[in-house]
Amino acid sequence: MRIRDLAIYFGFDKLQRLYQDVKIHGGLLMAIQKFRRFDDLKSGRLIGQDKYGNKYYENLYYFFGRSRWVEYPEYKNCEMDGSQVAPEWSGWLSYRTDAPPYADPIKIYTKYKWMLDHSENLSGTKHAYMPYSTTKPKIEAWVPKKDD
Amino acid sequence: MMAGMLRRLPKSVVSLKWYQNSVSAYSSDALKQKEAPIVDNSVILDDKEMKEREKLTHLVNLPKEKTLASINGVPEEHVKDRRVRIFIPAKNAMQSGTNNLNTWRIEFDNRERWENPLMGWSSSADPLSNMSGVVEFNTKEEAINHCEKNGWKWLVSSEERKKKERVKNYGVNFSWDKRTRVSTK
Amino acid sequence: MLRVPLTRAICLTHSSRVLVTASARLQSNIPAKAPEKVEVFIDDQPVMVAPGTTVLQAAAQIGVEIPRFCYHERLAVAGNCRMCLVEVEKSPKPVAACAMPVMKGWRIKTNSEMTRKAREGVMEFLLANHPLDCPICDQGGECDLQDQAMVFGSDRSRFTDIDHAGKRAVEDKDIGPLVKTIMTRCIHCTRCIRFASEIAGVDDFGTTGRGNEMQVGTYVEKLFLTELSGNVIDLCPVGALTNKPYSFSARPWEVRKIDSIDVLDALGSNIVVSTRTGEVLRILPRENEDINEEWLSDKSRFACDGLKRQRLITPMLRKPNGELEAVEWETALIGVAQAVQNAGDKVAAVAGSLVDAEQLIAVKDLLNRLGSELLCTEQKFPTADGTSGTDFRSNYLLNSSIAACEEADLVLLVGTNPRYEAPLLNTRLRKGYVHKEQDIALIGPKVDLSYRYEHLGNSSSIVQDIASGKHPFAQRLKSAKRPLVIVGANALSRSDGKAFLAGLHSFANQLTPEDKNWKVWNVLQTNASQVAALDMGYKAGVEEIVAAGPKVLFLLGADGGAINKDNIPKDCFVVYLGHHGDNGAPLAHAILPGAAYTEKQATYVNTEGRAQQTLVAITPPGMARDDWKIIRALSEVIGTSLPYDNLDEIRDRLEDVAPHLVRYGRLEENNFYAQAAQLAKLQASSLQGDIDVKQRTLADFFMTDSISRASPTMAKCVQAVKKAQATA
Repeated sequence: MRIRDLAIYFGFDKLQRLYQDVKIHGGLLMAIQKFRRFDDLKSGRLIGQDKYGNKYYENLYYFFGRSRWVEYPEYKNCEMDGSQVAPEWSGWLSYRTDAPPYADPIKIYTKYKWMLDHSENLSGTKHAYMPYSTTKPKIEAWVPKKDD
Repeated sequence: MMAGMLRRLPKSVVSLKWYQNSVSAYSSDALKQKEAPIVDNSVILDDKEMKEREKLTHLVNLPKEKTLASINGVPEEHVKDRRVRIFIPAKNAMQSGTNNLNTWRIEFDNRERWENPLMGWSSSADPLSNMSGVVEFNTKEEAINHCEKNGWKWLVSSEERKKKERVKNYGVNFSWDKRTRVSTK
Repeated sequence: MLRVPLTRAICLTHSSRVLVTASARLQSNIPAKAPEKVEVFIDDQPVMVAPGTTVLQAAAQIGVEIPRFCYHERLAVAGNCRMCLVEVEKSPKPVAACAMPVMKGWRIKTNSEMTRKAREGVMEFLLANHPLDCPICDQGGECDLQDQAMVFGSDRSRFTDIDHAGKRAVEDKDIGPLVKTIMTRCIHCTRCIRFASEIAGVDDFGTTGRGNEMQVGTYVEKLFLTELSGNVIDLCPVGALTNKPYSFSARPWEVRKIDSIDVLDALGSNIVVSTRTGEVLRILPRENEDINEEWLSDKSRFACDGLKRQRLITPMLRKPNGELEAVEWETALIGVAQAVQNAGDKVAAVAGSLVDAEQLIAVKDLLNRLGSELLCTEQKFPTADGTSGTDFRSNYLLNSSIAACEEADLVLLVGTNPRYEAPLLNTRLRKGYVHKEQDIALIGPKVDLSYRYEHLGNSSSIVQDIASGKHPFAQRLKSAKRPLVIVGANALSRSDGKAFLAGLHSFANQLTPEDKNWKVWNVLQTNASQVAALDMGYKAGVEEIVAAGPKVLFLLGADGGAINKDNIPKDCFVVYLGHHGDNGAPLAHAILPGAAYTEKQATYVNTEGRAQQTLVAITPPGMARDDWKIIRALSEVIGTSLPYDNLDEIRDRLEDVAPHLVRYGRLEENNFYAQAAQLAKLQASSLQGDIDVKQRTLADFFMTDSISRASPTMAKCVQAVKKAQATA
């Protein structure tokens, strides 16, 4: 039995991992900051970045379903929503494909010029869609003349 | 059953009476009877039960509740705030038929309707509005009773107006008078 | 069967032919003193009827309804549709029930084989040329032809169009912006023709051609120029004449019908308001023998689309920059309350023409609590120093009642044009003129009253002459059995109105009608709110308010123009409480949106003093509320809460003030004529100038108040009439 196995047996490797994660994230302060935003502290390989600044990571150390994740850009702070993920990355992130969009041989996502730009879900913001009445009002109100 | 009877036997003469009763009911010409006779078994009842039975032979006076509103489960806002108008429907000016003018109707005060902003449909929160002008009564007293029972404020608004008698005469069309004779007809 | 007048003419022995026919006519209209009833049998049921009763009427008495198209109980008998054919025992042919007077012992069979066959035959002929367009016809669902085809018609047709020639088709006529015609549907019942010539008094309609070529119309294209044109829509038993503004908007089974009262003139005609999806779609007349019979004037019927335009739907306050801004109720009430509190007792109110009694009493109570007595109506009525012309009800009412106007034998109209001020009173007068030998004279401008009248001139000196008995017409009034003097409210609102009131009222009291209870003195009001306001002690005319210069002025729907920018002080805070943005609202510093007459349960008193109530057909739009509730809420913010919280309590208060205000539908007897005249006499002054009326022609009739001024249909009517008058 080597020391490494012993360390694993006693769980010291977890501490070591924590130490490494903190180190990777650039120090204790930065790590806390990350944790605050994502409720998690994971480190992995950076697979790519989209135009909104979302970073996509993979670490096969974690089991399936947790092994790919997205880190939202810092300017979003805690205003994060699944709909901020760029559509071309959505397939990779949800394991529909293993190839990231830039290296996808079958082009699962193609951007055509007639497509509208992606927009995140605006519900709950002031830009949220509000249906307005399309019916003609039954009562016409009196509008006072301005010069009176 | 048998054991019970045996227990009772020494207790009272009543049981004996019952026995006699039942025997006499099945009298000698029992064969001629078509049905089994009814045995009067009131004699074996105890006093308490007798009293209870006696009570039932009288008319029962229950406290008379004038309004059903307290028990019929209608929400209070549809009982206390409603005003009912009792009326005979007016003749429709567009039609000459008069057969629906003979019954009394009730009508509730109109509540707010609003418009669905998407489709413009009109909605109302008033379930009673659909009873307006539909429920028929033969007399206004019936209608009043109905309102009283339901606890609504009511108002009788039609008087029974007597129809004016008119003498109609075809000949007037041809009478020699400048005022009734007109150029076109 | 001999015609009745002729038989009578032969029987009677008068030498003068005119006399004979006159008496015949009288007999035909007024039932004889003690008619011996005759017994007839309708479907073997015995019924006792007066002699001369028609078969159709006799059947109606026991609830047997004979189908009819041309017969209408308020029109002359035409007998041309033949739908009412019934079998009379021992008569070889079926008889027309609408025209045939019953004879003693007749046995009438309304459901026999012969009767049924006759009806089916008539119906078959009618339907052979009637289009089957019920699904797109506006009359569908309330169509007599539809109903009677279902009940009395045959269940199969022999009509086959072998030649593919099509059914008979008739070109549509254009008779104005109110009545839409689809003449192919016409079954030639001639009800519209008879209505126009008998009731409305315009001989615009007639028939041209014969047989299959017969057409009902105006012959040359022209406007149906009358204030009662809408009634032909009701009369038409098919869909030939339909309501143009209402066309294709609803089916009769979808609408909710609410019985209400019309307030656009002072008669208080009974109406039915049809609503659907929270919208007033149309207004129909409701039968009331005492007021409107079953007619309705065009303004009352068609101005309902004015209820949807120019409405005040939110409270408003005037910003310091002079613009009106929509605010919440709370803000508006606080704003008004502050102004009222700062004004002390310098508060006044002016009631317009559409105000209900509940609102009037609430405002009066509020202002009295604030220590002010400055409550006035827009329209003037003669008052004088110390005494008021409005102290006695009989001074300002149409005392004889509307229905009795047709019984009069001599009528003097002063300064009024009843045809446009109260069209349904004019039909009464016309009825009296046509059927009951009524003679009518007019002092005022020469107008078309739809019947012949004696024009005495338009100088007010004639009034003086009549009042003093010098005028020859005064003698005729004195010898008349049932004379009437009807004075227009507008004539009395002149500056010398006192003289009208004093002179004519005392003259009217001198007259000795045959019946002691006959009322001679009548005032024809033009505003629906006027009588209730005067009953409650509002002062007539705004002079007092103008003189006092109040700091806060409540305009209760006052759009008549009596109050304007120039006659109120610059710093006066004007509160407009009403439902339309018309003449009053632009003056206001605060606007409190109220309910129109279809949106509230409210009391109105008509010109004869009859209290009637409107019912809620729809709820007030937007943030508008019941008027009296607004005043009640305002009183609480001001700090003097009015002691009523619901309709019953405010009506109890009304009853305290004047009990007749809550006796709905009843006509109260008025008294104190002599005293009223005495009072009026004190104020006599001299008369000057000519008498004029506001509404001279049909074009003046349509837009007279805030509702009708907002109505696009009424605007179209005015245009159409002006165009017609220009080309005529």
